[in-house]
Amino acid sequence: MTFSGKVLVTGASGLVGEGVLREMLTAHPELEAFAVVRNELRWQLTARRLGALASRVTPLPGDVTVPGIGLESLARKRVERETSVVIHAAADISFSRPLDQSRFVNTLGSYHVAEVASSCPSLQRFVLVSSAFVAGKATGTILERDNGGEAGWVNSYEQSKYEAECCVRKTSLPWIIVRPSTMVCRGVEGDIQQINAVHRALRIYHRGLAAMIPGDRANSFDVITSGYVVEAIARLAFDDDARGETIHLCSGRGALKLGELVDTAYEVWSEQADWRRRGVERAIITDPETYALFERAVDETGDVRLRAILASLAHFIPQLALPKIFDTSVAERLLGVAAPSASTYWKPMLRRLLQHNWGQTEEVAA
Amino acid sequence: MGFAKYDGQSTPAIGGIAYAFPAGSCTVGELARDNQLASSAETMESFGFDKVHVAVGETPYDLALDAASALLAENEIDPQSIGLLIYGGTPASLALADHAGAPRAAEALCTMSRFNYPSSRLQYELELNNAWSFAIDQLACTTLLGATRIARALCLAEGIDRALCVSSEFFPAKAGREAIFNCTSDAACAVLIERNGTRNRLVSATNVTKGYYWDVENRRDEIVASYFPTARHVLLRTIADAGWEPDDVDWIIPHNVSMRSWEILCGLVRLPRARLFSHNIARHGHTLAGDNYINYRDALEGGCIRPGQKIVMFSYGFGAQWTGIAVEA
Repeated sequence: MTFSGKVLVTGASGLVGEGVLREMLTAHPELEAFAVVRNELRWQLTARRLGALASRVTPLPGDVTVPGIGLESLARKRVERETSVVIHAAADISFSRPLDQSRFVNTLGSYHVAEVASSCPSLQRFVLVSSAFVAGKATGTILERDNGGEAGWVNSYEQSKYEAECCVRKTSLPWIIVRPSTMVCRGVEGDIQQINAVHRALRIYHRGLAAMIPGDRANSFDVITSGYVVEAIARLAFDDDARGETIHLCSGRGALKLGELVDTAYEVWSEQADWRRRGVERAIITDPETYALFERAVDETGDVRLRAILASLAHFIPQLALPKIFDTSVAERLLGVAAPSASTYWKPMLRRLLQHNWGQTEEVAA
Repeated sequence: MGFAKYDGQSTPAIGGIAYAFPAGSCTVGELARDNQLASSAETMESFGFDKVHVAVGETPYDLALDAASALLAENEIDPQSIGLLIYGGTPASLALADHAGAPRAAEALCTMSRFNYPSSRLQYELELNNAWSFAIDQLACTTLLGATRIARALCLAEGIDRALCVSSEFFPAKAGREAIFNCTSDAACAVLIERNGTRNRLVSATNVTKGYYWDVENRRDEIVASYFPTARHVLLRTIADAGWEPDDVDWIIPHNVSMRSWEILCGLVRLPRARLFSHNIARHGHTLAGDNYINYRDALEGGCIRPGQKIVMFSYGFGAQWTGIAVEA
């Protein structure tokens, strides 16, 4: 794609937004960008991390949850005049929000960003950063297209992101939809930039506070590196062939099996003498019915802490019992390479989690 | 740790079982009204509990003596043939006190009365003149299964023909009647282990101790979470060490904890719930160490267990102990 103009990035202080911004500014030395900034302090931290690259970014106070994404009138005119690519990465990534709150940021926010993008006459690309898990409760091979919402969703995040996709698909924008899997680390070294539901669940199991996992050892458990995701988005945004495509940024066939991931986790934890001494038994991968009985028993007993633990897992862990493989044909065709296999970074990531005390240290905290 | 591998011939067997309950009993509703439960009566009923046995006038020793005497009488056992007596359950200083006298009994630890051991007294009163007697402690609800292992080992190692294992448990007046969502009962149970028994042969055992969970109050959540995976591990290992597959097991003889936890455990081990002998959970509650053998006897008497069937007993004890024993009926 012959490119002129600026890139507008929402969610530039987030894991994906910042990463994509860094990739694009590094790859295209003449490129300049707008960053829609909701939290000035967070942006200052992001700018510090971007270093010299930040000099080519114009921060614009704004908020995707309000019409016109909250841009001041002159800023809005400038954005409309100069923007040719929009990367919409702002999102509320909490799985436990009530649906209306998730929709407020993820669905309505996408609508507002798309509306602003529609008023940019030079717009060449609109990239919606969605999620592989818009597939929700669907099982089997998940194709890179609108698969509908008939299966339902495990949490409000999945549903609100699916609805955001629908909203964008209805526009006449030159959109592409990218669907990253759960990002567990930056790359094969296992560096963790942001603690998420997978890390939190692993911590609960490491502490011996959860007995079982619903699912089957043979089920695929898809995770991905943030490095692959941001690099892919930065490339796809300028790829003419990507227009109108829905693209899975997932391990796909390279995903590990649930059994392998659990076994590896306990293997890595067993490297610590203190942990071995506690005799924490490996969590059992069991059928959803037995897991539901356990949840019910804890609920009935009214044990506050255990109930809170299971409640925190409930927004994420049912997904493990829904066997699915994300098809990555379109991604591989456009990018020319497959995503890194989870086997290359899962173990290093687990060791980093322990080294950094589950995200309590500065390096890991996002 | 468990039994040495079964060689098919030389394993000791269960020669008899007898138990004794106190005269008094309470329904779960009555316990709740008397503030003896931490959970509601409805919760306990939904977990399968209906009634528990409550000792008022009886001491734990009285119940132990009743159970052991009954076992010897019913099976026409010559007391002189008993070479070993293992007592377990209520600690010595409390075993000779009744319901109301328990707080005062603790003071006996500061006097010569601390040496008034129930195991010695049982040996004397039952006239087990040839029995070496001692007590085991700190195995909680796995006491009788632990005693079984020790008795079996000594029968094999030292040629003891008969060993008597007795446990007696009770809860003093102010102790309440709930142990982490289980309704507790007072009871005593006696088990005879015979070196050359032919029925109910002890085929394999697994004992797992996890000392990390010694602090029951402060590690309660971790204990609840650890219970299931460790129980599954112990059950599967007991079955495998017996040379069986899970499908081969005809009956699971449980400790009488909540039905919900047994439903979950059966799901985890993939054993049909119909093979769980759960009849006694509602009518007897959790007698701590006595459950498995009380249930085993009732299952035998009721005709549920037939000769040659494959039986697995399992119990968990705070502290923390997980124990499984496989028996060929």
